[in-house]
Amino acid sequence: MQKSTFLAGLRQQLPGVAYTLALVGLVTVSLYWILRVTGLTHGSALYLIPVLIAAIRWGMIPSIVAAFCGMVASAFFFFEPRYSLQIKDPHEVFNLILFTFTAVVVSQLATRLKHELEVSRQREIDLSDLYAFSRRLAAAFDVSDIHAAIEDHLAAVMQRKVILFGGQRDGARRPGAVIPAQIASVVEAVTAGSIENGGGQAVTADSGEVWLVRAVSPKNREFGVIAINLGHASADSRELLRARVDAVLADATATLERLGVARAISEARMRAQTEQLREALIGSVSHELRTPLASILGAATVLNSAPALAHENKLRALVQGVHDEAERLNGDIQNLLDASRISSDGVKPHLEWADPSDILNEALRRCQRRLTERVLALDVAQDLPMVRVDAVLVQQALVQIIDNAVKYSQSGSQITIAAEARDGALSLTVRDEGAGLTEADKTILFDRFVRGQRHAGITSGSGLGLWIASAFVTANGGKVNAVSDGPGLGTTLTIELPATQTAVPQMETDADE
Amino acid sequence: MSEPSPVVLVVDDEIQIRRFLRTGFELNGFVVHEAATGAEAIRTATLRPIDVAIVDLGLPDMDGSEVVERIRSWSNVPIIVLSVRSSEAQKVQVLEAGADDYIVKPFGMAELLARVRVALRRQSRAASGEPTVVVGPLTIDLAARAVMLNGQRLTLTPKEYRLLQVLAQHAGNVVTHQHLLKEVWGSIHVHDTHYLRIFVRKLRQKIEPTPDMPRILMTELGVGYRLAQSVEADNGAAVSP
Repeated sequence: MQKSTFLAGLRQQLPGVAYTLALVGLVTVSLYWILRVTGLTHGSALYLIPVLIAAIRWGMIPSIVAAFCGMVASAFFFFEPRYSLQIKDPHEVFNLILFTFTAVVVSQLATRLKHELEVSRQREIDLSDLYAFSRRLAAAFDVSDIHAAIEDHLAAVMQRKVILFGGQRDGARRPGAVIPAQIASVVEAVTAGSIENGGGQAVTADSGEVWLVRAVSPKNREFGVIAINLGHASADSRELLRARVDAVLADATATLERLGVARAISEARMRAQTEQLREALIGSVSHELRTPLASILGAATVLNSAPALAHENKLRALVQGVHDEAERLNGDIQNLLDASRISSDGVKPHLEWADPSDILNEALRRCQRRLTERVLALDVAQDLPMVRVDAVLVQQALVQIIDNAVKYSQSGSQITIAAEARDGALSLTVRDEGAGLTEADKTILFDRFVRGQRHAGITSGSGLGLWIASAFVTANGGKVNAVSDGPGLGTTLTIELPATQTAVPQMETDADE
Repeated sequence: MSEPSPVVLVVDDEIQIRRFLRTGFELNGFVVHEAATGAEAIRTATLRPIDVAIVDLGLPDMDGSEVVERIRSWSNVPIIVLSVRSSEAQKVQVLEAGADDYIVKPFGMAELLARVRVALRRQSRAASGEPTVVVGPLTIDLAARAVMLNGQRLTLTPKEYRLLQVLAQHAGNVVTHQHLLKEVWGSIHVHDTHYLRIFVRKLRQKIEPTPDMPRILMTELGVGYRLAQSVEADNGAAVSP
């Protein structure tokens, strides 16, 4: 084995040695012409150039070859008698020995320099890998993010295909990570801890490829199990690779431990569970709170029109109170549900062509009772273009905005609702004569759970309405703008939606024959 | 009321909902049967004569639309489903499965009674073969294929008339976009909602006294259209109590 690796090493040197010989030849030819033109007699120092180049480019053996060849060539071509290896002048012999000595020292120094350069370059790559890795860990939200980061890090460091399987239950394979069945079964066994494998285990797949399977860290299960594709490697190179993997994993696990990855993984797992719990809670809130509310509201309407209460005005007023409060509670729950829908899985609008006046009329119908104590002014343009939106979402956004205008304005004041098309956009505007906005209000108006400080005492609300409105409109490709001349001077909120008039196919002739 | 009392089947797993529905219906002269599960509902509908069924979509044993489908497979009894908000797709699905109408929880008794009366009226009209539908100032004579507004005969294009005809056949009930598109333009156009939008706008110009504030041809956002059951002074029927 010693001999074979030595031969392999020598074979590797061959191209370098060949280039070196060519360089020496080139220098000899150049030197020959230079000496001839200038009439100088000494120039063997020029042979240091191939020595240096060989040392830096191809390493020590080619550079020593260069030194030796340079010496021989000097003796042969340039020292008297020429074209013979004999040297007449003892001074020249001394010169040549000096040259050879210098060349060997230079080649040693240059080789070491080259080595250090390579090491520092590798260190730089490792560091930037590590930096990228730690940044990914910091940004990781759940366990699979962290595992993906570990996997990519190991793959980058080892320059091999690496698949990582998370510890315990979430060993689910990521899509795209296809591995042979034999490997999968070994991975499972290692994951379960039923196979003792400190140094890893080589498994040959049907395809003939060899995979190395081992736990990332024998101490810490959370880091998972990796499978590395070693390809069609021979037994020898497999041993080398395994040693390399050991080194890399020792480094990597040290890094993982230092970065507190184990803790991060369990925290992420906990966070995922909390998230699930939250979703479950909201789901049960929707059912557990709304079902009794539906009973309360329904029963109140039955009571209110019951013949027995027909002449009991005071009792009917109480029933009406129950009804109105339950309805308000229902609205608040609906807002919470909408908010959780927006933040959990985003709003997925169901886009269809819609008539803006339908949206407006439905919103007005829903706000009818709330608007009874305001003076409503409608300013709706004729022939509004059709818009391709989720009409229900836009209508709900408009209801939130109208509701907001009612909340922050005085009884008896005017609320203007306008609809117009301008520059390929449809705008639905709600203008009130109410509390208005300060500059500070404007910046936080569409934030979640934010209510203007000045109004906290005047009116109730969760501070979700405008945030929901804005999210619903944004999901439809539009935006909500707020304008106010200042506190006490009223607010104008506008829903802007892209309207593409030409996009509605003109189908009068073909559709209505 | 000399007619026999109409019989309503209330299907909901929540006892409190059934309780107020029972009281509300009984106060209005209905006979009430209750069912807490889909299986019980189907059994009751088979064994007893009922005039209208109220079916909650969130039943413990089977999907509400399955109950609708099963009952619809052998009975024409009007079915009104109780659904929650934010589920237009579900409403459409259950209407396609054969429900006559839906009402969103929470709802007021007056609103539900109005829907039930519409369904019962439609049923009796279908049974007697009465050819005329009257909605406020609008009269649609399905036999003569004539449409009158305040006694004046309107000129409608064939497609406009067909649209109005389908709505009139379900007067008071919601008709889904898909159903209208299929009936008026054919199955290959069931997704061309913009046809409907444009024709409804043109039709409203002809039949609505104030086309911008429709009182006759009503939009159910995300679901379909409805020909109002009657045009009162205001469209207060939908607001409760």
